[in-house]
Amino acid sequence: MKTTYILLLCFLFTCLLQGQERFLTKQGYTSFFSSSPVEDIKADNNQVLSIIDTSTGAIAISILMKSFLFEKSLMQEHFNENYVESDTYPKATFKGKIDEINKLGNSEETITIKGDLTIHGVTRSIKTQAKITKSQDNISLKGSFPVNVSDYNIKIPAVVINNIAKTIEVTFELDHKPYKN
Amino acid sequence: MSKKIKNIILVTILGITTIIIVMNVVYNQSHVNVSEVSPDITLLSQDLLNDFENNELEANSKYLDKIIEVNGIISNISTNKNKGIITLSDKDAMGGVICHLSSEEHTKIMSLKKGQNIKIKGLCTGYLMDVILVKCIIIN
Repeated sequence: MKTTYILLLCFLFTCLLQGQERFLTKQGYTSFFSSSPVEDIKADNNQVLSIIDTSTGAIAISILMKSFLFEKSLMQEHFNENYVESDTYPKATFKGKIDEINKLGNSEETITIKGDLTIHGVTRSIKTQAKITKSQDNISLKGSFPVNVSDYNIKIPAVVINNIAKTIEVTFELDHKPYKN
Repeated sequence: MSKKIKNIILVTILGITTIIIVMNVVYNQSHVNVSEVSPDITLLSQDLLNDFENNELEANSKYLDKIIEVNGIISNISTNKNKGIITLSDKDAMGGVICHLSSEEHTKIMSLKKGQNIKIKGLCTGYLMDVILVKCIIIN
């Protein structure tokens, strides 16, 4: 009789835990920043989709290229039409893993995220540090990493070579909430 | 002779100034003002979502970068960084249409309620789990 109770309790617990395995955000923030002697270029995207599975530490992020908004419409046009060719490659994705996600406490900690970043149809594995705060009803990830434009087969015309940095700083802020089915 | 040189210099200066002005105008071109432009396509939010769910590639070429007016039922209202976000979806649907309002529209979300029918105009940037419209303006 006792064992049945224990089994039932275990079952209940796993059910409860499973309900909070997945954390999601549909309005994550990503920006990139290019600094060159001629001009600084910045673009913001507030529509990032990110899902974390806390049982495995897997993280999947999808970004719409056209959701990057620039200060100047001409920059946005060049970005979409000439550089990232967003009609052909509408999304950038990241599939990776957060190490030891279940060992985290409630305070802010620095963790390593490894995974594959796909931009402009080119996939590269990257590794970056991020600040993570994990609680019962929230997982927040913050960080930034450099991206080499040439790594992703993005060609910058010679005329504007001095306007655009060879390495772009990508910043992210993702505030995940438990996913209710 | 000296008059000719003067003329040449004057024309060159004029020419250069014109080029600079034109370049500046092109460089500083403003973004599309969604509120002033009439929509390219008008449809129900559910139809927009269905099109993306059925064939994303086709829907991308049909809707991306277009100003779209959608009619739908509000399933969620939230704010992020002082900007309103309205989700339109049917009760049982997994996905929806997420409308990120432009900053001028922020005060209007106070009077909105879940379940209400609404008409929103915005710029379509694509489909993740939901169709995304940015720079949205509430029509009624």
